[in-house]
Amino acid sequence: MNYRSFLKSEWLTLVRRKQDTINALLFFVMVILLFPLGVDPSKAFLEPASGGIVWCAVALSILMAVESMYKEDFNDGSLEQWLTSGLSLPYLVFLKVFVQWLVVIVPLLLVLPLLANMLFFPIEQLMVMISTLLLGTPALFFIGAIGSALTVSLRRGAVLMLLLILPLYIPVIIFATGAIRAAQSGMSYSGQLAILAAISLTALVLSPLMAALSIKASMN
Amino acid sequence: MKWTWFHRLGSPKWFYQWAERWRGKCLGLGIVLLVLGFVWGLAFAPADYQQGNSFRIIYLHVPAAILAQSCYLGMGIAGFVALVWQMKLAPVFIKAVAPVGAAMALIALVSGAIWGKPTWGTWWVWDARLTSVLVLFLLYMGVIAIQNAIEDRVFADKAVAVVSLLGLINLPIIKYSVEWWNTLHQPATFKLTEKPAMPVEMWLPLLICALGSYLFVAGIAMWRMQTEVLNRERKSSWVKEKVVDYGI
Repeated sequence: MNYRSFLKSEWLTLVRRKQDTINALLFFVMVILLFPLGVDPSKAFLEPASGGIVWCAVALSILMAVESMYKEDFNDGSLEQWLTSGLSLPYLVFLKVFVQWLVVIVPLLLVLPLLANMLFFPIEQLMVMISTLLLGTPALFFIGAIGSALTVSLRRGAVLMLLLILPLYIPVIIFATGAIRAAQSGMSYSGQLAILAAISLTALVLSPLMAALSIKASMN
Repeated sequence: MKWTWFHRLGSPKWFYQWAERWRGKCLGLGIVLLVLGFVWGLAFAPADYQQGNSFRIIYLHVPAAILAQSCYLGMGIAGFVALVWQMKLAPVFIKAVAPVGAAMALIALVSGAIWGKPTWGTWWVWDARLTSVLVLFLLYMGVIAIQNAIEDRVFADKAVAVVSLLGLINLPIIKYSVEWWNTLHQPATFKLTEKPAMPVEMWLPLLICALGSYLFVAGIAMWRMQTEVLNRERKSSWVKEKVVDYGI
């Protein structure tokens, strides 16, 4: 096993199990569906709320996708192979999260214009929403990867992982929706985008190390 | 009336041979009717006095919407049959029809959105009819998802039957959404009890399109069911003989 074969096998597993990706996507659509049905379907409510609705749905569906990301590897013993392979574990985690991110975020961005339109989000500001997603979601994935690594050996880790991780998602959601709201009211939003990028970069550096530690702890 | 056909339907072999005879006829007649209905509706039917030519998308929209609901009704009934009488072919039917029904629901949603832009001025509104059809689409996707998620076939068949049966609750909501709530969507085009509100030259091609799509979908469903039957009965002697006959 080397880094390249690892990357390839991760990619192939995810691409061949399309149903998982589709499930995350369907979950995203359904969470969005709840807001107009449950709160108010009028344009007066949806247009200002659309950024927040999309970001809540994104955060929840990413949690869904990330929650079980090491489960299969844990069950079939691949995690132990990673440990004994002599490769750097943080780097493996980084590669795995990167592939996960790619597989979830690309289909999500593809359906986003459709859903944004259904929520009456102004089409001119779509690029702002897409940039918040591109800059912010890596942080969600990397933070989620730590929680997933911590709970991988637990039988009922899913709820615990949600409780651990969701509070850490809040800053990302605040700055992302802040940027969208600023754009909607015609103000400058580059500051919020810069903070999102900073959070993502910090998570990118720190999270693989912490996830690797957690995996090692879980394997005993 | 003899009831033997009902017992025979329990036999995959008998069904396979029966479908072999009827599949081609259904598909052929369905395609002929669809072409006839589309050409008549799109080129020769009179334009609407309010909507002009944009109303012609009805010839795609209404048949797809009817089929999306009928497919789900069929799946729900098959789910009931699978759970109560445990007929072998009922889960095969659900598995074969679910993607077709999902495609029909998607066509109905997309064509409705395209139709909505010129007439309502918006691609989408959170209207009762539109939303309930979106939920129908999501239910189809759920059925397909659970089918793919469970590897044990017996368990998967049971789970899918239960989900199909549960989703039936959505059908009356779709049907009556235009009457229960005050919505943008117009009421049903066809009713069994009344004459349609449009002239004959407009609704006759629509009726032909609807019949054509029923036959077409029935043909596709038989075809997909045959494939699934072959896969499931691959250990039985008649399938082996059949495959050997093809020289594989």
